[in-house]
Amino acid sequence: MYLDMHSHSVSSDDSRATVEQYLKWIQVLRKRGHVIDGIVLTEHRKFDYDKDYSALASQYDVVVLKGSELDTRYGHVLVYGVTEPLTNDIDFSNVAMDTRELLKAARQHGAYAVPAHPGRFGIGLTEYIQQGEIFDDVRIVERLNGGSRKGENERAWELCDDKGYLGVGGSDAHLTSHICVCLTKFEASIKTEHELVDALLSEQFKPVWLEDATNNSTSEGIIK
Amino acid sequence: MATELDYDRSLHGIEHEAGPFEVTESQIQAFSRGIAETNPIYTDAAAAKSQGFQNIVAPPTFCTIMVHRVELPDINLKFGGKPTGGGMHAGQRVQSRAPIMAGDKLTASSHLKDVYPKTGRTGTMVFIVWETTFRNQDGMVVADVQESFIRRG
Repeated sequence: MYLDMHSHSVSSDDSRATVEQYLKWIQVLRKRGHVIDGIVLTEHRKFDYDKDYSALASQYDVVVLKGSELDTRYGHVLVYGVTEPLTNDIDFSNVAMDTRELLKAARQHGAYAVPAHPGRFGIGLTEYIQQGEIFDDVRIVERLNGGSRKGENERAWELCDDKGYLGVGGSDAHLTSHICVCLTKFEASIKTEHELVDALLSEQFKPVWLEDATNNSTSEGIIK
Repeated sequence: MATELDYDRSLHGIEHEAGPFEVTESQIQAFSRGIAETNPIYTDAAAAKSQGFQNIVAPPTFCTIMVHRVELPDINLKFGGKPTGGGMHAGQRVQSRAPIMAGDKLTASSHLKDVYPKTGRTGTMVFIVWETTFRNQDGMVVADVQESFIRRG
């Protein structure tokens, strides 16, 4: 199945898209022949316990999962399968937290943390690795990011090759028409945040561009 | 490690009042010209009255030009122990709640809504968010304007 692993709704301070607008746009993309099964809302520096998108998800037949994108001392990190013990342990608003502590805490509390847009200039994980920082617990990074500038996805690709990291893909959408420009193809069927964490741990996935999200596609996240 | 964000937190919960400001027909017409609004209810009093309004109507974002009449205090922001540098405007969100018309007398009430840091390609930024509620002469809320400013960490 195909999931957009990185998106922001109006719940984030810098997005203008509602969840329903995203789901409507996905219907348009499906009519164009793309296979899209779901999205993960990764709101900035918080987790929306109070938001319930199940009715919308059912109405539009799209899996809608919730996660977070946290600012850390070493770049942004996507967190999937957020649990209450994790939010009790980690201050999601702390932009100076150590990425390594977040990665450890996430696993300890049943979640999974993935460095976002690692090739991003000035803030991506690549920058800090080049400065000598070591991140032993990183296994998966966001290899395809729809908000990347020229050269940034290429740097993420090189990082994966160099370190042997696995990669996921996400649009980083803040606007309706940007949703699902990058996705992740999973072998597993995923309906819940817990199943998403299991699917990440299974390591059976690959990042893809929207145009490769079809029933017949065999390509994998080629940089364009 | 703490975020090391320091500012005058006593400002939370304090309302900063201003007004009343009389809304004039010429202000509305000038604003409409500025945003290229051509709907006659925003440009012509007779057209507005023919559609049931008491007078020429202000476009929904009209209060964005009134919001700066509220004098807001410096929050004395420090990041990492140092005063922050110069800032810039980071955007506005307007929630229009009732029509504003020429002749209305608006009052404004602003409060500090949020102060938070975030990081991006160019480093750390701190966002300062003020929220202003506008009421007309009858006490009816006509608009809420949320305005953000960025300071560099």
